[in-house]
Amino acid sequence: MDEAIKYLFSTRGALSHPVTQFTIAFTAAALVLAPATTLVLERMGRLTDVMRRDIMSRYYTWLLLIPLMIGPILWCPLAAMVMVCAASFLCYREYARATGLFRFHAMSGMVGLGIILVFLTSVDHWYRLFLALAPLMCTVFAAGGVIPDEPKGYIQRVALAAVGFLLLGSGLGHLGYMANDRNYRPIMCMLILCVHLSDLAGFIFGRAFGRRKLFPNTSPRKTLEGHIGALLVTAPVAAYLGHLVFPETRLDTPARLALLGLIIAVGSQVGDLVLGSIKRDIGIKDIGATFPGSGGFLDRFTSLMVVAPAAFHYINILDPFGADRAGRLFTLP
Amino acid sequence: MPETKPSPKPDRTWAFEPAADHDLPPIAAMRSVRREPGFFNFLSHAAAEVFFRVYFKVYHRLKVEGREHLPRGTPFVVISNHTSHLDALALKAALPIKTAVYTYPVAAGDVFFDNVASSVITAAFINALPLWRKKATTHALEELRERLSRGHSGYILFPEGARARDGVMKPFKAGLGMLVAGTNIPVVPCFIKGAFKAMPPDRTIPRPRRIRIRVGPAMSFEHATSDRDGWALVADEAQRAVRALWPSGGGGGG
Repeated sequence: MDEAIKYLFSTRGALSHPVTQFTIAFTAAALVLAPATTLVLERMGRLTDVMRRDIMSRYYTWLLLIPLMIGPILWCPLAAMVMVCAASFLCYREYARATGLFRFHAMSGMVGLGIILVFLTSVDHWYRLFLALAPLMCTVFAAGGVIPDEPKGYIQRVALAAVGFLLLGSGLGHLGYMANDRNYRPIMCMLILCVHLSDLAGFIFGRAFGRRKLFPNTSPRKTLEGHIGALLVTAPVAAYLGHLVFPETRLDTPARLALLGLIIAVGSQVGDLVLGSIKRDIGIKDIGATFPGSGGFLDRFTSLMVVAPAAFHYINILDPFGADRAGRLFTLP
Repeated sequence: MPETKPSPKPDRTWAFEPAADHDLPPIAAMRSVRREPGFFNFLSHAAAEVFFRVYFKVYHRLKVEGREHLPRGTPFVVISNHTSHLDALALKAALPIKTAVYTYPVAAGDVFFDNVASSVITAAFINALPLWRKKATTHALEELRERLSRGHSGYILFPEGARARDGVMKPFKAGLGMLVAGTNIPVVPCFIKGAFKAMPPDRTIPRPRRIRIRVGPAMSFEHATSDRDGWALVADEAQRAVRALWPSGGGGGG
């Protein structure tokens, strides 16, 4: 027990890994250079006023979000888990309000309970229950949905709760569970960095070369060229960072690292398209308005909700998370 | 041969209805008439509701006469004389709890929603909706009327427009008419007595005085036209109904 608590609050070696150092240096540089570049482009007359305002509103969002995301990861494993749990709640809130599920308080309460259980199993390092929560909670939603005795809309309520929990509770929760690994800081930094690199690369390539729409009904502004550019940039970077994060493990072969890079790169793109589909189906432009001009939390975490479970299970097969630590730290006598 | 009944056609419409305020940032949503409480707001509001019920029962020995007239389903508008900040809370405490959680006191925006902290507290615990008095035009009240007509809300409204600082009931304004004229939404008249003595406008801490509420039968203003004449008619009839509940009471001071 003492050992477990000591681990959860451990701050040792926060900045010792080169990938963590690189992530901090890269994001700090991006935060410094973004307004300077915007200013230069504006002076050169290459930016319209609308574009400048759009870029700056996104910049302020990141100025707030980056310390809130990276800070807890650097601090200690428990803080990282709390950050992911809070992100799950905030994303679910936006999802529920956009889909109308928030009007069914009992369903939202059950999803909230599921998110808390994901957090607690992560803290406890209880891997089997962590995995079992996905089907168990779906059963709870199905059973709980019967209680109001309102068959009309039953499938919709239960399905919305299940999708919400699977993507935002269980899916995003995999990111929190990674904090059970002593190497969690560079792993989480790598995923967050790659996901946002994919966004950035997609935007730049789309602007520069974008001609053909890949999914015009789902995401009308995204182009095939943008998607390919994002894949070409993200996959090699993710593979190289993977080599630095998992040296001399079963994962550290060119083919396996390439597959890791591909999983992260494709997952990042898929996450965006999933959110696009949800928004188009509901018929709304933005799923949230927490950050005026640049959407809500879900817009920022949408790729991670797909990448986190995909990368987690791939890595876990070859180099299990937290294998050097005992499981069920608090629940076993 | 026995006749077989056709099975009813199931309704397979997948209705996505985003929150009316989903396009507003959180603080702006709290200060908006379009606000729709979510799970946490529901919990905080329900907890506050339980607290205020105990508080009014114990501290003010709240007594409600004519409880059978109180609404049990939405939509509705509960109206009353207004002499104290306790009025809205007392009326909510008198309502059946299942109705109270869907009840929104209409509060002065410039008093209760003028900064972030008061907006959060008023929205989270009292469930009030703002009415910006300087902008209380037909258009401003139209949003409140539209929300009421959707059927999921009940309002507590003080048609005098502000607290009577001397405790004597003032003439009703046309705002109530703008909300209900030409509709069959039930308007429930109430008279609050004792709230002025418990907490007049110049006090910040309430005194432990008894508060009594008389509730009258619900009225409907389907016959009133939604124009200036109709609104005046609604104000007049509603005022007479409230006053008739306590003919000797004069103001709520008692």
